[in-house]
Amino acid sequence: MTLVPITYKGGVYRHDEIVDLIDDLGGYVIQKHQLAQEVVLQSLVPKEDIDYLRTVARPLAGEVIEAPLVGTEIAVISPSLEIHHLPHASCDVAEYLRRVGAKTNVIGLARGFGKRIANLNLEERDVINEHDCAVYLLGNFEECIREKLPALRRGVTVPIVVAGAPSTERLKEIIQPPVEGYVGDLGRVAHRMRKEEELEPLDRVVDEVSSVLSAYREEIAQDPLSISPARLMVVIDEKMRISAESTHPTPITVQIAGLRVKVDYETYADDLRALEIEDGVTVGDVAEVLPSRMRNYIWLKIRPFSETNVMV
Amino acid sequence: MKAFEYFEVECEDAVGAESYRRIAGDILGDLDLIKVIGRLHIFIDPKVPLFLAVGLTRKLPRRVRLRDFANVLEKGDGVLIDISDETHLSRLLHILWERFGRDLVEQPDRWTIQIRGGAVDPSDIEDLIVFDPTESLAKDIIYAFQYIAPEGFKVRRQLVKEGRFYYVASENTLEEGEVDRLLAENFAKIGVNE
Repeated sequence: MTLVPITYKGGVYRHDEIVDLIDDLGGYVIQKHQLAQEVVLQSLVPKEDIDYLRTVARPLAGEVIEAPLVGTEIAVISPSLEIHHLPHASCDVAEYLRRVGAKTNVIGLARGFGKRIANLNLEERDVINEHDCAVYLLGNFEECIREKLPALRRGVTVPIVVAGAPSTERLKEIIQPPVEGYVGDLGRVAHRMRKEEELEPLDRVVDEVSSVLSAYREEIAQDPLSISPARLMVVIDEKMRISAESTHPTPITVQIAGLRVKVDYETYADDLRALEIEDGVTVGDVAEVLPSRMRNYIWLKIRPFSETNVMV
Repeated sequence: MKAFEYFEVECEDAVGAESYRRIAGDILGDLDLIKVIGRLHIFIDPKVPLFLAVGLTRKLPRRVRLRDFANVLEKGDGVLIDISDETHLSRLLHILWERFGRDLVEQPDRWTIQIRGGAVDPSDIEDLIVFDPTESLAKDIIYAFQYIAPEGFKVRRQLVKEGRFYYVASENTLEEGEVDRLLAENFAKIGVNE
């Protein structure tokens, strides 16, 4: 059964039927936003049932849209949190990625600005490495991108997408060793990107991140995970009642090969490890339960089948 | 809004130059400085790296006096100020509070201020300077260029004086003589020769 990421948009009225249907079909609702009369469900649904879901949603005026990045957590990296880089373009990019279902975190580096003086500290490196993909938003000059990127990517092991003002071809030439994705014509700007020609680079960010992540997903498919992250999320949430007792927008964030559980590591890690998924298999058997560098959260890294010999 | 008489961004990197042209235009527009700056030349050398801006300020709008937006009348033992435009009202109130004290200055409604006490001379108050655009100009221009220049360029030299301004920034120490030479060269491009 292949699960396809989708976004369902519709009214509050009878939306619980859709939630139940997704559950019955064997899919997962990863995130639910409710804004006044509108409900948005970021979900994973079996590929063959999408048309059926559309049929059910039609009388409710619901819309089913493919959202390639549902179930991913992406780091949008800005050289700093100064007025020079925020809110444009960092927030514009983060917002655009969110529209296609990604959970984005904007990471403002402490000393990521400048050419010679740019650097990345250990905490930033570790936080970036807890994501599925890192989108670096760099500036307008080739010379600076060439010189500063090696410092900013040192120790980063997740796939990297670099955006900058030079064209995509120039970025490919100046960045050595190569990174996974390039988006040209998107550098530092001081205005909101709302014209069509300005939105085009944002669309390319989405395309580039999607293709980088599908390559990553394919790589994982070679040696499948012991449990699907979405399923593990549902199990943990049901047994530990995390979303019911949390005020976070995403109390459990789904990643491609892991989860970020937003509860205190010291207090809950042991309970989480011992939590039974089914037939005596515990969370600790299929995943590494690690302290996250992001606040005091728990970061779960799901082990592949080859390591655990268990598939639940 | 009146556009610049002259505005150029000079840089070897054409893409970077175009981006900075847009950034400078956006920021000066946002901070309402376009009508203040007449000529502007920005020189960027990403190799050094160096950001240099030179420019001329236009003749500024004149000072705003109380009589420009209000009538002052004598009333009883005090003075009544009848306001026709609220733009500078809050600034005016602060000035009056400081001069006469809060207990003597009252604002019974939106368009009226009353100053009690016999020591007030209406003709004296009429000439009160409420807003002087030159006061904050230097601060505003320097702030704008800090915002326009790439972040992290913390070695700076700047000046706003007698209708001219410059802003030089880098992340490396710059040689004094070299900066002077570059400034003279770039000032010449906007028609200032010394």
